[in-house]
Amino acid sequence: MTKLEAKNIVKYFKHDSHRLTALGGVNLQIEDGEFVCLVGPSGCGKSTFLRIVAGLETPDEGEILFDGKPVTTTGPERIIVFQEGALFPWLKVQDNVEFGLKMAGIPKEERAQISKRYLDMMQLTKFADSYTYQLSTGMKQRVAIARALVMDPDVLLMDEPFAALDAQTRDLLLVEMQLIWEKTKKTILFVTHNVTEATVLGTKVAVFSNRPSTIKKIINVDYKRPRLVEDQNLFPLQQEILSELRPEVKKS
Amino acid sequence: MKKITLTKQIIFYIALISIWQLVSMTNIWPNNLFPSPYEVAEDLVYTASDGSLFFGIGTSILRLIIGLTIAIVGGMLLGIFMARVEIVNQTIGSLVLGLQSIPSVAWVPLAILWFGLTDGGIIFVTAIGSMFAVTIATYTGVKNINPHYIEAARNMGAKGTQLAIYVLIPAAFPYLISGFKQGWAFAWRGVIGAELLFSFLGLGFLLNVGRQLNDISQVFAIMLVIMMVGIAIDGVIFKRLENKVMSRWGLR
Repeated sequence: MTKLEAKNIVKYFKHDSHRLTALGGVNLQIEDGEFVCLVGPSGCGKSTFLRIVAGLETPDEGEILFDGKPVTTTGPERIIVFQEGALFPWLKVQDNVEFGLKMAGIPKEERAQISKRYLDMMQLTKFADSYTYQLSTGMKQRVAIARALVMDPDVLLMDEPFAALDAQTRDLLLVEMQLIWEKTKKTILFVTHNVTEATVLGTKVAVFSNRPSTIKKIINVDYKRPRLVEDQNLFPLQQEILSELRPEVKKS
Repeated sequence: MKKITLTKQIIFYIALISIWQLVSMTNIWPNNLFPSPYEVAEDLVYTASDGSLFFGIGTSILRLIIGLTIAIVGGMLLGIFMARVEIVNQTIGSLVLGLQSIPSVAWVPLAILWFGLTDGGIIFVTAIGSMFAVTIATYTGVKNINPHYIEAARNMGAKGTQLAIYVLIPAAFPYLISGFKQGWAFAWRGVIGAELLFSFLGLGFLLNVGRQLNDISQVFAIMLVIMMVGIAIDGVIFKRLENKVMSRWGLR
């Protein structure tokens, strides 16, 4: 079943007086439960595309269909995880994770029950009463992912969530992310500029062209999980993606 | 480190009072224009023992609390609207800047005509003299919120009043505190100024009584009290609040 469909998404940016076409007609169809990674040269607008899917920006042309219905605004069925987490520093970890539930008017005891499950899943139970400034960057991203999962969204939108992490922490989270996906059966849209990350995580990798961006190629990744970063068998696929990307990076 | 600072301060004040004592002993200025520290202390003990000092302090602080509360609530509301609704900023925003330039005592004639010589008049002067400082700080604070905080909150379903209470105000808190500090300082000036002119109880009134009776030690004594109350409120309430917020928000 098709969960998300992008139909000819066009987005302009005003730059002083002239107009820059960031997205030049992006078409993408995502089935329920797919893990789709978006890669592309920096500045190609893949993050903008994700923000449009989240309903935080509106396209100048085209539309996003969610379960067949056009997306007009942001909503908790499409939760975004930002690169730096965007955790609220004035709340403890547990209160951060429960934020969306509180906004939905769910009573305190019930919130605690739900959040406990996800704090356990992300190995954050010990840190439930910490403030975010006491956490490492990796821990913060775990909180951000828990905060998103608590909402039980249909679609998880991740905007380079591991870009600021050190290599060891990232490798660990790449394995965990696969387990989460298998356990929760979420549809995930994951923006990254890291080709290895994309092949390790995705069931599909969509390669963006340079501006005005379209999706140049979609590559299926059929390989057993959990996949590891150092797995040599993914290497040919990574080369294939890189050969698609290289001319685009040069153009930019 | 802290101890050394305190020692330095104690030595400074002892030296200051000693010089003051010496100067008054030389009789360069007549005693009815320049009292000795001993006479001022004597006057303080006297006004304290008959209770009029504490009644004065209590009256002024009560007016301060009511006026400042009105200023903080009103100022924050106005500031949030200015920051979030562009037309409010373009219209009322310019008026706020103008109103902020009016010194609080300049509101006294209006307050006397509107409220008569009442508590209400003094509280009006206090509130209006400090409100716009809070408004401007709130506006700046909300404008400077990391946009990802607001986007994440909206994405998780927060809107309207919920967004303001659970996100905008706490996220802007580091700015709000400096607004409160500035607002409180304006409010304290406002209370004392208004009491001087209304001549209706409070520390400002006691100061004026000192002038009318040609009692220079009382004038000195009350000014000292006004200063000490200021230091106490700043140190006890605002310094602590600021320290807590700064560390929690990861700014220190």
